[in-house]
Amino acid sequence: MGIFDKFANLTDRYAELRKLGRDPFAVKIEKILSATQAVIEGRDVLLAGTNNYLGLTFNDQCVEAASEAVLQQGTGTTGSRVANGTYATHSQLEQRLAEFLDSRSAIVFSTGYQANLGTIAGLAGPDDYVLIDADCHASIYDACRLCGATIIRFRHNSPTDLNKRLSRLDPAANKLIAVEGLYSMLGDIAPLADFVKVKDAHENAYLIVDEAHSLGVFGDTGKGVAEDAGVLKGVDFIVGTFSKSLGSIGGFCVSDHPEFDMMRVFSRPYMFTASLAPSNAATALAALQEIDANPELRTTLWRNAHNLHDGIAAAGLSLGAAPSPVVAVKMPSIEVAAYAWNLMLDQGVYVNLAVPPGTPNSLSLLRVSVSAAHSDEQIETIVKAFEVVAHELGVHPDQQRGLKVSAGD
Amino acid sequence: MNTVDELALHKITALLQPFNTRNIKISPETNITADLDIDSVAVMDMIMEVEEDYEISFPVNNLLEIKKVGDLLDAIGALRQSDALLQANAG
Repeated sequence: MGIFDKFANLTDRYAELRKLGRDPFAVKIEKILSATQAVIEGRDVLLAGTNNYLGLTFNDQCVEAASEAVLQQGTGTTGSRVANGTYATHSQLEQRLAEFLDSRSAIVFSTGYQANLGTIAGLAGPDDYVLIDADCHASIYDACRLCGATIIRFRHNSPTDLNKRLSRLDPAANKLIAVEGLYSMLGDIAPLADFVKVKDAHENAYLIVDEAHSLGVFGDTGKGVAEDAGVLKGVDFIVGTFSKSLGSIGGFCVSDHPEFDMMRVFSRPYMFTASLAPSNAATALAALQEIDANPELRTTLWRNAHNLHDGIAAAGLSLGAAPSPVVAVKMPSIEVAAYAWNLMLDQGVYVNLAVPPGTPNSLSLLRVSVSAAHSDEQIETIVKAFEVVAHELGVHPDQQRGLKVSAGD
Repeated sequence: MNTVDELALHKITALLQPFNTRNIKISPETNITADLDIDSVAVMDMIMEVEEDYEISFPVNNLLEIKKVGDLLDAIGALRQSDALLQANAG
């Protein structure tokens, strides 16, 4: 048996998906024009699947900060912070993140994926338990594998199920609970205040919240879902990424625990990788400044999110959750989802195709991420494209009304 | 097979039925991922239902060892036994 034979099933399914049109997992962006537009297949396409929630990738201050950093500090650090040194920009960013999230200290990682890997694998060991929400991101699952702890999965967004499972464990054992703020597939948010209560009711339990999709988006000052729920201080570790609302790349973890900085010498994903490029760190610093200085970015984002959510719902399509900057449109099967995804791109709108096993409850989804940079006209264009999809699927209310009239005749 | 195993087999068979697209007879010898049309996440979701019934938590770490329905039955039995021991010791 060859080394690739085990992928035969997956290879077949991937081939079937490609038969329905384009390759949804290899879309080539020939030229990026702005935070919301690109050239794909030789024509202008509206981007509605970027995670660029605040639309900062072309923000003047962020571009200037990145350019200046390249000119002043070079293109890369060429080594890890432990072996090759910490740049002043890394320290500035860590200090700024700690201030922004009102925490004692912050550690920066080279990607958001590594932030979860480095934090969870750094914190938990073979004698500990990690309890993860069933819908957690792959980086949290991978972190669990790396740390060697006993991994227990609890029902998505269920503090009751978490409580039950915690009660079965040895009170003396360390228990790390991992959840996300905003879930990236369905766009639903975690009941963080209830999770904090459950955590507080058990000895030696710690809560880690991944705010990858919610930083800069939720909360009065953009700190995330924990701020929005009023439990920022009830969370032990907040993880986040620079590659979404901050328009850069990299990740971080902040904490009030005084021993937290020891992670720098025992978290392997922190130690054994090259540190963040100065331009990426400088971009993140500038983006944090923009979040502070321009709260209207969040106002616009949420207005766009509501308009898009309401427009798609009015077209008769079924949505994954209440309005949020992630709008998930449920499709009846993988095949229909792939067909609809192609139809959206035919109309010049790029969204994400999300299919099992990458989705919760084996759902097939067209996933849209809203941006503060989307204009009202662009939101309308996305809604109109979904109306065409709804008509094709025969679920548009106009068609339903027509059917009722016919049935009545 | 004792009564508990039979009940568990019955429960697992019902949970796996939606994925039994080739309509095979599900037995302890059934290979969960090879014989059924089920992905890794759906397997974990199915196990969550079993956990609820038996009030156990099945470590995700051990999932790789579960190939056949019989492996799952054995794991449920072992977990129930260790939980009972833990409770007896605590009492």
